[in-house]
Amino acid sequence: MAYTEEELKKELETQEYAYGFVTDIEADTFPKGLNENIVRAISERKEEPNWMTEWRLSAYRAWKKMEEPNWANVKYAKPDFQKISYYSAPKSKDKYESLDEVDPELLKTFDKLGISIDEQKKLAGVAVDIVVDSVSVATTFKKTLSEKGIIFCSISEAIREYPELVKKYIGTVIPPKDNFYSALNSAVFSDGSFCYIPKGVKCPMELSTYFRINQAGTGQFERTLVIADRDSYVSYLEGCTAPSRDENQLHAAVVELIALDDAEIKYSTVQNWFPGNKNGKGGVYNFVTKRGICHKNSKISWTQVETGSAVTWKYPSCILKGDNSIGEFYSIAVTNNYQQADTGTKMIHIGKNTKSTIISKGISAGKSQNSYRGLVQVNAKAENARNFSQCDSLLMGNKCGAHTFPYIEAKNNSAMVEHEASTSKIGEDQIFYCNQRGIDTEKAIALIVNGFSKEVLNKLPMEFAVEAQKLLEISLEGSVG
Amino acid sequence: MLSIDNLHVSIEGKSILNGINLDVKAGEVHAIMGPNGSGKSTLSSAIAGNESYEIDKGDILFRGENIVELAPEERAHRGIFLSFQYPIEIPGITVTNFIKTSINSNLKARGEKEMSASVMLKKIREKAELLDIDSKFLSRSLNEGFSGGEKKRNEIFQMAMLEPSLSILDETDSGLDIDALKIVANGVNKLKNKNNAVIVITHYQRLLDYIIPDYVHVLHDGKIVKSGDKQLAHELEEKGYDWIK
Amino acid sequence: MQLSEKLISSFLAFELDNDINSPIHGIRTNAIKKFEELGFPTRKLENWKYTSLNRVIKEDYTVFSKKKNVLDFKNIKDYFIDNIESYKIVIVDGFFDPFLSQTSHDGLDICIMSAALNKPKYSKIIKKYFNKTANSEDSLTSLNTAFSKEGAYIHVPKNTVLEKPVEIIHFATGNEAALMLQPRNLIVVEESSEVEIIESHQSLTDNPVFTNSVTEIFSEKNSKIDYYKIQNDVVTSSLIDNTYISQKRDSDVKVHTFSFGGKLIRNNLNFFQNDKSINSTMKGVTIIDFDQFVDHHTLVHHANPNCESHQDYKGIYSGKSTGVFNGKIIVDKIAQKTNAFQQNNNILLDDKSTINSKPQLEIFADDVKCSHGCTIGQLDQDALFYLRARGIPKKEAKALLTYAFANNVLESVNIPELKYKVKKIIAKKLGVSLGFDL
Repeated sequence: MAYTEEELKKELETQEYAYGFVTDIEADTFPKGLNENIVRAISERKEEPNWMTEWRLSAYRAWKKMEEPNWANVKYAKPDFQKISYYSAPKSKDKYESLDEVDPELLKTFDKLGISIDEQKKLAGVAVDIVVDSVSVATTFKKTLSEKGIIFCSISEAIREYPELVKKYIGTVIPPKDNFYSALNSAVFSDGSFCYIPKGVKCPMELSTYFRINQAGTGQFERTLVIADRDSYVSYLEGCTAPSRDENQLHAAVVELIALDDAEIKYSTVQNWFPGNKNGKGGVYNFVTKRGICHKNSKISWTQVETGSAVTWKYPSCILKGDNSIGEFYSIAVTNNYQQADTGTKMIHIGKNTKSTIISKGISAGKSQNSYRGLVQVNAKAENARNFSQCDSLLMGNKCGAHTFPYIEAKNNSAMVEHEASTSKIGEDQIFYCNQRGIDTEKAIALIVNGFSKEVLNKLPMEFAVEAQKLLEISLEGSVG
Repeated sequence: MLSIDNLHVSIEGKSILNGINLDVKAGEVHAIMGPNGSGKSTLSSAIAGNESYEIDKGDILFRGENIVELAPEERAHRGIFLSFQYPIEIPGITVTNFIKTSINSNLKARGEKEMSASVMLKKIREKAELLDIDSKFLSRSLNEGFSGGEKKRNEIFQMAMLEPSLSILDETDSGLDIDALKIVANGVNKLKNKNNAVIVITHYQRLLDYIIPDYVHVLHDGKIVKSGDKQLAHELEEKGYDWIK
Repeated sequence: MQLSEKLISSFLAFELDNDINSPIHGIRTNAIKKFEELGFPTRKLENWKYTSLNRVIKEDYTVFSKKKNVLDFKNIKDYFIDNIESYKIVIVDGFFDPFLSQTSHDGLDICIMSAALNKPKYSKIIKKYFNKTANSEDSLTSLNTAFSKEGAYIHVPKNTVLEKPVEIIHFATGNEAALMLQPRNLIVVEESSEVEIIESHQSLTDNPVFTNSVTEIFSEKNSKIDYYKIQNDVVTSSLIDNTYISQKRDSDVKVHTFSFGGKLIRNNLNFFQNDKSINSTMKGVTIIDFDQFVDHHTLVHHANPNCESHQDYKGIYSGKSTGVFNGKIIVDKIAQKTNAFQQNNNILLDDKSTINSKPQLEIFADDVKCSHGCTIGQLDQDALFYLRARGIPKKEAKALLTYAFANNVLESVNIPELKYKVKKIIAKKLGVSLGFDL
């Protein structure tokens, strides 16, 4: 059936949020609000050493003095930070020897998410660290990894078991005072992933983490720290889904990546937080600070597919400190209904002969607004910096918007900075043209969207690419074969 | 093959076609001419099934079947092809991928097997040569950055690949220089046979020197006001459209 | 006496020389009044912000020469295109030269304005088209209109494809100490016809020459025009070229402007898309040095749906030269499904070269695709070194990079002999021989 503009819009709007459900397990939730006592309580609950507690408190005090940022091209009701509970963990044991010990309700949750542990086992050894409402529940394959000296565990565990490593690196890429949300996160982060790859080791499997925000009114504050020591390699996947809720839920994560000399970190994200219903109510607020620092000859790639959250404010960045370092950013951001996204990346060229590549694809539908904000900064001493940026927008229908704000600050004459941007539209004309050639509407949309996103989808690890593709199609219309 | 009976078509409440009667038999070439606003593009859109246009009254019979309720892809599956006046750009789909999807969608709808890659490739090469299309176009996004002439040639290339029973060429000659016009006309002529039919909608008589029509119809104010043979086109050229009124 | 005063006072004498009963008389009179009112443009006008005419208009020009010099073909044959059959319209010191020209009335008219303005058989076309698209509010255009007398007149009837291009050349021989020329060209191409035109201005003297030219082009339905402007004059010669193009549906007009010579060149190139489904292309290469000055002001007015325009201007500036690019695109509210592209790329070879680039997009429709891009940079030193490391001498390496830079404008020149000629001119400017294969 061919679609008129109206019907096309309706189809896009009424796509049910596939993952809208809640796990009914007992949760251990703190009272709402934030003050020094809550911060101490969190630290105590996690049995953290003193230095960690102090670190949190110092961050909290800095946060109190800061003001929430206002500059993004998004409009939203400001979250009331005193109305959120900062800790929620399902009342189950923290660690499990084997999967048999995991709460069966939880396992059912994983099933619904379509990421059954069994499947994971079959998928050529993907180690999974599942975070449900701020606490890591199961970590598989730890033994296999530990043989290589690879540490992959929750950050809470890392603080207890590997304090020197954590202390050395935490906050070095994103200092607590960096911005409002990183300060908040530093004070109240409940859990996250910690990963350390020793010198010369190439991690043999994709490391992966899944997130969910479960309890109503719970902000999600993950903290992830990935350290790739000299000449090592790791590919890290992060994917999240969240249930339907009416109140907006806050997600303010911090991800720090450190690639030492000759190391490489590949960080892929598939994000599908609840986007708000078709009237713009509910949905997750996703304010994330992600940054990587590259030492000599190292490389960090950020690859992401974002289809959820009501409001997104996210700029994965690379600090190209070391000579010859490379930063890459590949992204597809889909917005529908009333979603708003102000995303992009920052590439800071400091060392000599540094290179950065940015490929950003935005797909807007419904009444959504999709903004790309990219900063390419070449410092005065950054000789021979090279950057290529490509930013493409695809508009579906007439009521959505796409905006591009490229900032290029080149303080060195030898810099070569290239920027390309394009905007295209899919409207009823395109759909009718495909119809007239015998291609039905659903297939036409799938073809167009996949063709448009191909460059970025190709950068995802294979297991993720398939899920990402499916996610794209679901976010835009009915599932297509 | 095509029988249009008292067709009334409107868009956004405005009536454009006011009782069209047209009979096209297999093997025939019909030309439709008319001044701006006479309803030429509306007629082609209505036959192809563009849902922006409302059929207020009348029937369109294709091979005996009334197609007014059918969706555009369903009409395409039955062998109707429209060469668009303004071919659409579709970024992200290559020319090859598009034609492959189109051909296979049609085959599937008819219960036939999908075309194999090697057969398809051979056919693509053959038809691209017929229309003087450079192979580098095949890997580009459909119509993106194509010149007007290239877009029109691409339309006829699709027609050659899909081998429709009824082709409607909506102002395919507009904006083409003489060399491109000859290539397109040559392509259309080579594809003509006694089993298919072509409706040529044109604003300029020149095309009809190359694609010789069996019948010429003049459209004015949404009605066919005069029909004749190819001589009519020449008379129109000399006397202008006012003569018809 | 100031030039403007001289012009205004000469007008009466000029009109006496011409037929007062001519249908153009009224047009001319209104035009001189407009010039009187506005005078020469100054930097206070937005459109002339970066361009001062002072050093041009300060000379004491003869505003129309009385005598014409005779030119020998062998002295000027280098200015024509080699190895090509063409129609020729040659105007010397403002006068038509029948010996050097090759006009035609064989089913079409390739001849001169003075004939068209005076002979009754052309009056129908003149009445329909003359001064109908030129901007009467513009003072320099009005000045030209007031003194319009000679220039090229080309009328191609329906369904006619010209097998030969038309070369239009205006010569100045130095018969006066300083000469002002105001050629007026009218080109009408009827339905489904195609024509190629090459135009240039050539001064053969060191005496100052100032040309204020107006060309009106009417491209009727489904017609095709390829227009090439070669601006490679001497450094004492200045040119203001006002070109107005009115297009009807399905037409396709391309203008290539090659600006290499002259003291000051100002190109006002205007496209009016007066119908739907129109294609307009404007391309240019500017290569200048010393204290040359080239200003490209372009305007495309998309007034109807489904039209396209492409602009691509490349500039290479050395010495103390200055370039100005101002590309204006207007998209009316009803001009839905417009595609408009504008690109301006510049290379500054020396510290004292300057470029002022300003894109202006006024878009009132919402279903459009418009883009503009501008770059300003230096020649890639790495690339230069690479070529030299492979044994290519510095000058040739620079030339090669310059060709590469200007390539996609050169590539779209459809007349191979012309393309060759332009490449030769570029080679000469860069001080290399065309021996190396491009």
